[in-house]
Amino acid sequence: MFKRLLVANRGEVAVRIARTARELSIVPVGIASQADLGAGWLAGMEEVVCVGGPSARESYLQAERIVQAAVQSGCSALHPGWGFLAENSRFAALCEQHGVTFVGPTPGVMRLMGLKTPAKGAMRRAGLSVIPGSEGLLSGVDEALEKAGGIGYPVILKADAGGGGRGMRRCSDARELSEAFAAATAEAEAAFGDGRLYLERYLEGGRHIEVQVLADRFGKAVHLFERECSIQRNHQKLLEESPSPALSREERAQLGASAARAAAAIGSRGAGTIEFLRDPEGRMFFMEMNARLQVEHPVTEAITGIDIVKVQLEIAANERLGLEQTRLAPRGHAIECRINAEDPANGFRPSPGKLATFEIPRDKGPGSVRVDTHLAAGGSVPPYYDSLIAKVIAHAPTRTGAIETMLRALASARIEGVATTIPLFLEVLVSEEFRSGEYDTSRIPGWDAAPAAHSGATKIAGKARG
Amino acid sequence: MARIPLSPIGRPRDAFLDAKTFEKSRAAMRGKEELLAARRAHVAAGWGPTYVERVHADGKMTARERLEKLRDPGSALFEVGTFVNLGRKFGDRESPGAGVVTVFARVENRWTMVIANDNTVASGSWWPRTPEKIERAQEMALRLRLPVVYLVDCSGLYLPEQSQSFPGRTGAGHIFKRNSELSAAGVPQIAGVFGDCIAGGGYMPIISDRVYMTEKAYMVIAGAALIQGAKSQHLSSLDIGGAEVHVHQSGCADVRVPDDDTAIVMIRAEVARLPTSGAGYYRHAAEAAPPHHATEELSGVFPADHRMTYPAEEVVARLVDHSLFWEILPERGREMIVGVGRVAGLYMGFVANRQGVIDDPGHRGQKKPAGILYKEGIAKVAAFSRACNDDGIPIVWLQDISGFDIGVEAERQGLLAYGSSLIYTNSTNTVPMFTVLLRKASGAGYYAMAGMPYEPVVQLSTPISRLAVMEGRTLAIAAFSTKLDDEFQIATKDPEERAKVESGMKETEARIEGDMDPYKSAAQMDTDEIVSFGELRGWLELFAEASYQAIGYRRVKNPRIWSLHDIAALTEPRG
Repeated sequence: MFKRLLVANRGEVAVRIARTARELSIVPVGIASQADLGAGWLAGMEEVVCVGGPSARESYLQAERIVQAAVQSGCSALHPGWGFLAENSRFAALCEQHGVTFVGPTPGVMRLMGLKTPAKGAMRRAGLSVIPGSEGLLSGVDEALEKAGGIGYPVILKADAGGGGRGMRRCSDARELSEAFAAATAEAEAAFGDGRLYLERYLEGGRHIEVQVLADRFGKAVHLFERECSIQRNHQKLLEESPSPALSREERAQLGASAARAAAAIGSRGAGTIEFLRDPEGRMFFMEMNARLQVEHPVTEAITGIDIVKVQLEIAANERLGLEQTRLAPRGHAIECRINAEDPANGFRPSPGKLATFEIPRDKGPGSVRVDTHLAAGGSVPPYYDSLIAKVIAHAPTRTGAIETMLRALASARIEGVATTIPLFLEVLVSEEFRSGEYDTSRIPGWDAAPAAHSGATKIAGKARG
Repeated sequence: MARIPLSPIGRPRDAFLDAKTFEKSRAAMRGKEELLAARRAHVAAGWGPTYVERVHADGKMTARERLEKLRDPGSALFEVGTFVNLGRKFGDRESPGAGVVTVFARVENRWTMVIANDNTVASGSWWPRTPEKIERAQEMALRLRLPVVYLVDCSGLYLPEQSQSFPGRTGAGHIFKRNSELSAAGVPQIAGVFGDCIAGGGYMPIISDRVYMTEKAYMVIAGAALIQGAKSQHLSSLDIGGAEVHVHQSGCADVRVPDDDTAIVMIRAEVARLPTSGAGYYRHAAEAAPPHHATEELSGVFPADHRMTYPAEEVVARLVDHSLFWEILPERGREMIVGVGRVAGLYMGFVANRQGVIDDPGHRGQKKPAGILYKEGIAKVAAFSRACNDDGIPIVWLQDISGFDIGVEAERQGLLAYGSSLIYTNSTNTVPMFTVLLRKASGAGYYAMAGMPYEPVVQLSTPISRLAVMEGRTLAIAAFSTKLDDEFQIATKDPEERAKVESGMKETEARIEGDMDPYKSAAQMDTDEIVSFGELRGWLELFAEASYQAIGYRRVKNPRIWSLHDIAALTEPRG
């Protein structure tokens, strides 16, 4: 096992990774921007290397400096966390080239999964269903019309280079498609310098369900069941739970097995998440794979008792995956709420600042509470990075128990100095819609009175960062 | 450090080149690429549809159809010598591609050299330069130890022109000497015999390890036309030298097959029995990856005007995996870029000419033009070339070079000797070397950077290559030097004499400009192929994979013990 690990990230995930490293007797070395220097969460690191200015571009995205930090601080491995450089195949190649093991997939798999059309092609070959579509780029509006006729309306046009909803158009018939094609091309060209489009069947009222997979370099892969992530705002996941209330036991086993097979087939290594869209008829379509640790991984850890970061490090050190699928079963139910420094009453405006009070109780029953955070009273939330300040995970034998536990923990949390998303969660958790388990990505139960106003088309089939 | 410290190289296009200039250059290049595509199509068409139909009516495939069937589905073909004989007339006839297709083709995941007589051009007969083109392909295969597949369909020498292709040192018979040398070096050769193979066409397959013959094929030293009494006995060439004879009686062929299609299927199966490629092993756990900065941008990086400069490191960045590169000796001989990058996951050495102006190390505070070889740059390139040869790292020479530095100081420094040291190194290197004439390839610079006379395994030109001893203007100055003053202006005051010198210089300049046309070089085999900038990366991947395919014939040191580390260690700053 590695002696020293560079934790190439900041905040909550850096603390999370360092915790497991310590448990495995690996010395964690941190990096920090000038804005983060002196932050309380860095105390958990054995050593900290300052990698540049406050903005992420000047620091946490400085691939060469970060690799140099790893080499100079004697780290033999690097954990990228999520965000920043976690899905940058060139960075992974750079690490390997300099003798620093990148805790993650091979650069090739990372690159493949980062390309929309090839990723879908690879997963189709690996046995997963993908949303019916053009299976490649469109040569022009004529081909679009022909393909759309074949798969049926409504369809959605998407930019191959795209993301964040730009270059997307929902079209309910041929006339709309003819009209939208040129506009979507122009929009994609302007936004990404690449106007190429593809097209998919537009699915309404779907659920976002993802499967956690683990694979070693010897071709063995297991799954750790699914996470339900349908509660989102502008593609940002807010609340996740596991197991998904939507799946039967048979569906769960089937979905998990197909995801693990697909992960092995594409040569995935380490932890990965395969995201699916479940349509109202219960069909599961592959959307994308994130070949990295995800923000919502603690709900899976809660129901399986497995430390996913530990398994990542073991696989990176070329150990064999010791888990056996037949011995894995979900225990109880877990829910995670992402507490962001944002004001939900004010259009979710970011709310950076200094924390006067920061208390989230962990001793509320009936279940157990885990709080993943890098902050404490007196700490501050800088304006440069994402606004996640804590994740609260409630685990109980039943879903109702998990909801009750979460409600009590959040209701008695005291955070002063910044606005947080806790009021939103309190509304969601008491709502009938959420409690029934019957919800989808089109709106936030208990919060949005009507279907979400914000670009419904992109909301359903778009990517949510997890 | 014994690791290979590749670092990010290059910038996004908009960081060094504005969109307008980029689009303008790209548009200028597009015209040249369209010409390239049109000329390729012209060669590929052979003698046209009539002859294709004739082949089909005979129940056979054309040479190019056979190639399509032979290659791995979806893989690219890399043709060399496409433009040999381009524009040359023999009577009223042309010989597209000199009547033979020579091409690197991937068959069962192995790179092979395929030599296919073009049966749509005078029944695949051999024209002047056809033997040389075949021999060049055989030489490439020998250098890289790539299996050779002959798709033979050749009615012998094109007799009206026999005096140009029969008797000389590289005359048709030299092909069979190369067959023998390939065999002696242990290079697998497989032949399919598809048609009328008379005389030379009959000899060509026989040395191959395995010979497949279709029912339409015959091999004869001389056909029925030259056999006394053949007419009265109703003897055809097929009776004299068909599969019935050669497979079952003479033993000159191994296997008879009903048709072209079956022959190709069986040749593929034969290639599959050969050892698999060593490339996967020599990637040292890395994977092939495209450049981070898009290769497609290269066509707009080169300015439309050949006198303008561009950042050469951006070219390298667009050719190496992930745009990661280890530049060796970056502080010395700044006019040259030397270093190592991966191509398709495999290490390759690169030598490129920096463009624009650089600091002059000999004169503090002064600048001098790059794109020229100076003392330090030559020494750096020579040391790098020696080290790569020592380490078994194939070298890619990216030429855009105006020549050696000249003048009092240059001669006093002994550039002739430094240059000769480099030439000695390149001449005695055994590591595979590949040369790309990106743009200018002038004078001794062309020689010193492993131009064709130094026998690179393959030399590529681009649509904007300018290969000549010097640019037209310079050559005109040299030719008329007795008429010029110190500033290279016409010395005489006599108007008539002035006009004469002026037009003479102009004419010389125009002639040299014409000589520098890459198609002219390609037609007379001074370069192996013309490729567009967008295709260049694909070619380099071929070179890398082909260089590392065969195992055991050349030195390939593992990267931790490269001699390159010694150079780096001796020049690292102390403390």
